[in-house]
Amino acid sequence: MRVRHGEVLLASGFAGIMITLFLALKWAPSVSIDAFASPAAQRIFYWHVPSAWAAFIAFSILFLGSALWVFKRSAFGWRLHVAGSEASLACGLMAVWSGCVWGAAEWGTPWDWTDVRLNTFGLLTLLALFLVLGRQSQPDGVETRDTFSTFGLYGFVLVPITYIATRIWQIRHPGPVIGGGEESSLSSDMGLVLLLGAISFTILIAGHMVMSARITEYEQRLERLQNKVDGRI
Amino acid sequence: MADTLLELDGVTVRRGIDIVLSNFDLSLDGGQCTILHGENGSGKSTVIEASARLLPLEKGEVRHHSIMVHDHEGRRKTPKFPFGLTLQSNGLVPSQTIQKHLETVCALSQSNCDLTPILESYGLSHRRHDKIAHLSGGQQRKVSVISGLIPAMLSEKPRLILLDEPDSGLDDSSIETLKTHINQLRSAGHAILIATHDERLFDCATSLHDLTNEKQNEPTSSEAWENIGTEANNTFLTTKMGWKYNASTLISIQRNWLASLIVIGALLTLVEPLSIEDQDVLLMGFVLAPAFTIGLVGDSVTSMLKEQRAIDWWRAQVNSIPNSNIESFLSGIILTMFSMQLFLQEFDWRIVFIGGLVGFATTFCLRFLQLSTMRLARTNAVFIRLLTPILILPWAMIVEYCVML
Repeated sequence: MRVRHGEVLLASGFAGIMITLFLALKWAPSVSIDAFASPAAQRIFYWHVPSAWAAFIAFSILFLGSALWVFKRSAFGWRLHVAGSEASLACGLMAVWSGCVWGAAEWGTPWDWTDVRLNTFGLLTLLALFLVLGRQSQPDGVETRDTFSTFGLYGFVLVPITYIATRIWQIRHPGPVIGGGEESSLSSDMGLVLLLGAISFTILIAGHMVMSARITEYEQRLERLQNKVDGRI
Repeated sequence: MADTLLELDGVTVRRGIDIVLSNFDLSLDGGQCTILHGENGSGKSTVIEASARLLPLEKGEVRHHSIMVHDHEGRRKTPKFPFGLTLQSNGLVPSQTIQKHLETVCALSQSNCDLTPILESYGLSHRRHDKIAHLSGGQQRKVSVISGLIPAMLSEKPRLILLDEPDSGLDDSSIETLKTHINQLRSAGHAILIATHDERLFDCATSLHDLTNEKQNEPTSSEAWENIGTEANNTFLTTKMGWKYNASTLISIQRNWLASLIVIGALLTLVEPLSIEDQDVLLMGFVLAPAFTIGLVGDSVTSMLKEQRAIDWWRAQVNSIPNSNIESFLSGIILTMFSMQLFLQEFDWRIVFIGGLVGFATTFCLRFLQLSTMRLARTNAVFIRLLTPILILPWAMIVEYCVML
């Protein structure tokens, strides 16, 4: 019997995310009341940070796929681009949406146009939305692939800017909680739940990649067969 | 020996998912007329458009007058010598008159001429001051064909002419006129490449090419065309044309200004400016919002040129297409002056100037986004404006800077 790796990874990632949510809401230690204006909302962090982490992985895959298509005309690269843009959109929306909810509770506003990380991450998500919706509006072809892959390449410039944004311009967003030197502060229990969330989201992304690449391959095969029936090949 | 005016060297072009032209070679000397014929989808238009630098090449390069103008690495050089181009979808600007359009074609060839005899030969002289949009399909096609022939008609030196289905929609007498012109221009040493199904035009060809084999042909002999052009200097043509397109159609007023004025009106319905005198950032945001809106609507000339693929016709001729750079700057200045009076009741030339720059820069960015999706099959269906929020943060920073002035 053929093992369906994509489905297995998706199911495992999904289960891990559910466990993370449960632990975040029921088990993870609460933070100091003084540290946050809205301490209960802080638990969104266990969803927000792993989804943002997964979004960065997805953006990297999108970049890799775009580069493979633009420079190597690789069909595999295009499949990575498609899967990467879909995963970027899903994870980006999860991170933005959870951030807006948290921001509304903590800062009193869901969005701040002057915060660099908020804006660059929001733009990356909009880029992913543009790539997904735009691609669906166009017939598949080299023109479509070239155009969207070029946007995928240029859009990746925003990834390092987003990553370092809170280290350089700390406006509303807090500084890094992991890997930020002495300012980083996370208890071991909190870190454990966060780690579980990050691993689960990563597995979910991997599952999506496998599934999406397979679907795109089937679509391409179907199109080739249709063209054969139409006598175009 | 005649110069080689067009060379396609190992050109491979992909359209959609298929390779429609593979390792294709073609060479056209002065005094030759090659007719490309073959079934629909065989790649005739692809050869014409690749020769005009409109399609990206997978392999190979295109040379005009032995100078590389386009290659597979994406390099696009403006041809040193003007060439004639008739696209399958006309490439005309419908809001222009025939006279103005043909004058623009002459200007691109750095020449002037009396257009009356040419227009008379195609039965169009009585419509010369009519807008192209008011003409029938056949008449529009004639204008497009004349546009393709003019660069050779105005030049003593050999010029390249590319005609894609020039016969389509033309009546019998116009076909005869077209044949006469092609023969005369060929005899005068110009090189002509035609894609057509119409066998009536085969008499003009020195060779017939079905995209696989090339066959020599004996064309009808003819007297040579006598040059009717006089030299003229036309610098900053694309900027001037952008201004002219805007002035003749008022398209910037219709699209960009209207949106800005609506924004000002909407802001005035929400707040009484005198009641928020102490909120400097908010008021400055209101002052610079109209200039920002002008740009967010996009470059009106670029949108206008998308009709009938006029933008492609321009892109083939020059690398910089007509634009609204001047209008967007001036509009930004005027609307910022207006909004300053409404919201601040004062005047500061520095903020007015920054308003102009905001209008210009925003329009420039939007034009870049508009043009970056030009190759797509359905440019109006793509969600490119999803990326415009990238401009909000810089605009907010400019507002804060203006408050400090």
